[in-house]
Amino acid sequence: MTESEEPRIGVFVCHCGHNIAGTVDVERVAKVAATFPHVVFSTDEMFMCSDSGQQLIRDKIKEHGLNRVVVASCSPRMHEPTFRRVVEEGGLNRYLYEQVNLREHVSWCHMHEPEAATEKAIDLVRMSVARAARLESIPVKTVQVTPRALVVGGGIAGLRAALDIADRGFEVVLVEKRPQLGGHVIHWTHMFPADRSGREVVSPMIDEVMDHDLITVYTDSKVTALDGYIGNFDITIKSNKTGEEHKVKVGAVIVATGFEPFKPIGYYAYEDSPDIMTLAELQEMPPSDELLRPSDGKPAKKLAFIGCVGSREPGVKGHEHCSRYCCSAVAKAASDLKDRVDEVVVLYQDVRTYGRGHEEIHRLAREKRVIFSKYNPDERPEVWVKRGKITMRWRDVLADDLLEFKPDILVLASAMVPPEDVEEIAKIFSLTRSSDGFFNPEHIKLAPLTTHTAGIMIAGVAQAAKNASETVVDASGAAAKAAALLARGEVEIESTVASVNPDVCSSCHTCITACPYGAMSIDESHDPPVAHVTEAKCHGCGTCAAGCPSGAITMLHSTDDQILSMVEALLMPAQMSGGEAR
Amino acid sequence: MVDTNNDALKSILVVGGGVAGMQAALDAANQGYRVYLVEKNPSIGGRMAALDKTFPTLDCSACILTPRLSEVARHPNIELLTYSEVEHVQGTLGDMRVRVRRKARFVDETKCSGCGDCARECPVEVPNEFDEGLGFRKAIYVMFPQSTPNVYTIDSSACIRCKRCVRVCERGAIDLDMQDSTVELHVGVIILSTGYRLFDVRKYPRYGYGRYPNVITAMEFERLINAAGPTNGHLIRLTDGAVPKRIAFIQCVGARDVKKGVPNCSRVCCMYGVKNAVMAREHDPDAEVSVYYADIRAFGKGFEEFYEMARSRFGVNFVKGRVGEIIEDPETQNLRFEVEDTLSGRILNVEHDLVVLCPGLQPADDLHRLAEMLGLRTSEDGYVEIRDALTAPLETDHPGVLVCGCADGPKDIPDSVTAGSAAAMRATILLSSGGAK
Repeated sequence: MTESEEPRIGVFVCHCGHNIAGTVDVERVAKVAATFPHVVFSTDEMFMCSDSGQQLIRDKIKEHGLNRVVVASCSPRMHEPTFRRVVEEGGLNRYLYEQVNLREHVSWCHMHEPEAATEKAIDLVRMSVARAARLESIPVKTVQVTPRALVVGGGIAGLRAALDIADRGFEVVLVEKRPQLGGHVIHWTHMFPADRSGREVVSPMIDEVMDHDLITVYTDSKVTALDGYIGNFDITIKSNKTGEEHKVKVGAVIVATGFEPFKPIGYYAYEDSPDIMTLAELQEMPPSDELLRPSDGKPAKKLAFIGCVGSREPGVKGHEHCSRYCCSAVAKAASDLKDRVDEVVVLYQDVRTYGRGHEEIHRLAREKRVIFSKYNPDERPEVWVKRGKITMRWRDVLADDLLEFKPDILVLASAMVPPEDVEEIAKIFSLTRSSDGFFNPEHIKLAPLTTHTAGIMIAGVAQAAKNASETVVDASGAAAKAAALLARGEVEIESTVASVNPDVCSSCHTCITACPYGAMSIDESHDPPVAHVTEAKCHGCGTCAAGCPSGAITMLHSTDDQILSMVEALLMPAQMSGGEAR
Repeated sequence: MVDTNNDALKSILVVGGGVAGMQAALDAANQGYRVYLVEKNPSIGGRMAALDKTFPTLDCSACILTPRLSEVARHPNIELLTYSEVEHVQGTLGDMRVRVRRKARFVDETKCSGCGDCARECPVEVPNEFDEGLGFRKAIYVMFPQSTPNVYTIDSSACIRCKRCVRVCERGAIDLDMQDSTVELHVGVIILSTGYRLFDVRKYPRYGYGRYPNVITAMEFERLINAAGPTNGHLIRLTDGAVPKRIAFIQCVGARDVKKGVPNCSRVCCMYGVKNAVMAREHDPDAEVSVYYADIRAFGKGFEEFYEMARSRFGVNFVKGRVGEIIEDPETQNLRFEVEDTLSGRILNVEHDLVVLCPGLQPADDLHRLAEMLGLRTSEDGYVEIRDALTAPLETDHPGVLVCGCADGPKDIPDSVTAGSAAAMRATILLSSGGAK
């Protein structure tokens, strides 16, 4: 189709079952839309996203020679990709498609005003029809993918991901900030549910990684810069010791930067005695037949655990989440150590031993007479240290008794929190973080491993608190995403980018400072030098266009003409021939 | 002799077209492998297709699922075999012969356009299992509006062979004489993603399910609040159609109960219970909503925050305690029971208009047969045993068989999706190294 062709617009109004049609008079919307300029076909349909709805669009494109399609249904975040594909299958450029949000923006928020909602729906459809008439096709571009992946973090997640990608036949660059691989797991003396030390689990993986022909390892090093875009990332790796820099080109990135065990400063007298330690610190104590008290090296006879230290605290930023691994880890440690001490007490809020085999661990602990006592989060246990002796006092919720216990060692099951440099990592890889401080996935339900930055995956605790067995599954899953990208060899990039009119550009550099993605530069080869867009980096945010004092930058698919036509259609409906009198 | 091994090393069979199986299929297909996706129902989508909203974001389940359905259906490397069952498997990693029985759907998949003329004409109505039997469907039907493939199926046990559908179908797609057929597949790896069934809550006679119509299951609740469900999303009581004002959710029905053979936690019920409680308040802000629980296990990303929001913002009442026998008031059909609020130590005597039982998960019906056929070890509660939780979490005793989703234990949606991706990774590694890794 050429743009000079007269627009022939098809409008499809979706019922979304009862979701839209229960509030909005969709039949009327479709009828009124039929009277708008350039609209040659208009109808309503039960589910536009269903196969039959999609087929309807393809059929009507052919039947009526449609060259623009408007679907009035849900949020474009939901189905714009679906319908763009459908119009493409119908032979139109995907950017000749326009979506109206009648569900989130109309029926769901005006459920009790069906008439006004219908009016609003008509307004929105009128605006979109006006815009559709001015849409232009934009070529869809692809770029080549460098068949190599970067894995950031050499813990159990990073090791698994690196091995998987390499075993699949692609090169991997693995970067670890510490001098050794193995993360936290390598230091832990007993993993659950299997009775093995962390070292037994990760050492073979480390050996495999070190011996693998396709894996290059940089320990004691950090990624300091990421440039480029999906399929073509330019990575700078810097050695912590020598400051030496390496540049690598990769096609995909897996961020597996893990966590830090929360240091519970200010909680339960943590700093007042060496005998009060975190669960991670307990896990790292050298194995021995007896549990020795750090303060004097004598065997401990009484042991206590407190759960949810720095987790599940409503309103406390970064500590509202459940740390997921601790309940089962505490049950396992309590059960194991009960064999070496006389008494073990576990204070908890809820027992969350949800995993397979975890409930058995909890039952075993109870059978061994580990005492589980529920505390009230609004009335946290008190702990104090006097002359080296620990005393804890709490109210047992179930018995409603005030209890006291003097443990030789107190273990605080402290939260999993992001590592110190998480903000830096987020910035380098353009990741966002959720309230738990960990990185946001692309979709919390259906896309837990990919992120909003195409080509960058997250795995393991980088995404959210979890245990080691869940982490390795994550890692393999993220590796699958990377492998798919590397195996494909090429990938589509965003087409709705900024475009510079060189005749108007005054080379003022405003756009270069404004662009948050580093997509703008000056093309020195042009005479005079003018602004240049690296399209694969551009996210189409429009900041440059808004800042440009000369009006030299156009946002493809969001041109001034397209946007103003919508404003006009809203404010002056009668100007649109066929606009319904109101 | 032709080396037939080559095509098997490029092919993967995924058994089960729910959210885990679809993900495994996509992630393997995106790497260039040929994937056969076998689903026993007429449509892919699994359990997720029937859910209303999802925790913790309250995204509409069908809405986020539908793009996934069409992605699978139109993927050039995926072949869908719906309404089909794996009958026989022979061979090992890299070289497995699989016989799949394609049940007769009495509608030609290649001819049917899903227009629905046949269903409008069909005179037979039977309870719709997709709506947990709360609504009706015809003898010729699609499971749900976004069914994929969008092809009708005749339920032969309900069909009266009146042939009205045959006469009305303009494409001549209906063939009442269609027979079951079999196809032989040659694949290198099999991924089991057979999903789950819900615990039969009748095994707790004290809750009165089946005797008291106002005691329903969580899945029935999902369908009742669903805009595409049998009541168009109006939450009503099954006895009198009244809007329930006092709603109870009872957790751990068929989970963490050694005596009932379900010793483990089902991982999802706490959160779907909390989510449904929130939805009950969303549907009717005046309703009193209580959740009776043992522990609230809000352990996934954003779950604890969601649970907190249910308490503080939505005013859901959480009571820690086991519920005793439920008694129906014969006049009002309201439900009364005693429960010890273990936090206060008080015995509460409560009355509710509607009680929702939140059942735990159990392995899918078909899993036992498949596991036996493939020689896989299963645990006491029927799930496939994996080789090692830390080093081989998707591998089974059979070198060519992997598991994901709920085949090896209960999982929520993100964990199922992740396991699906991971299974695809393991499968493609196994095949790319010629079955050596």
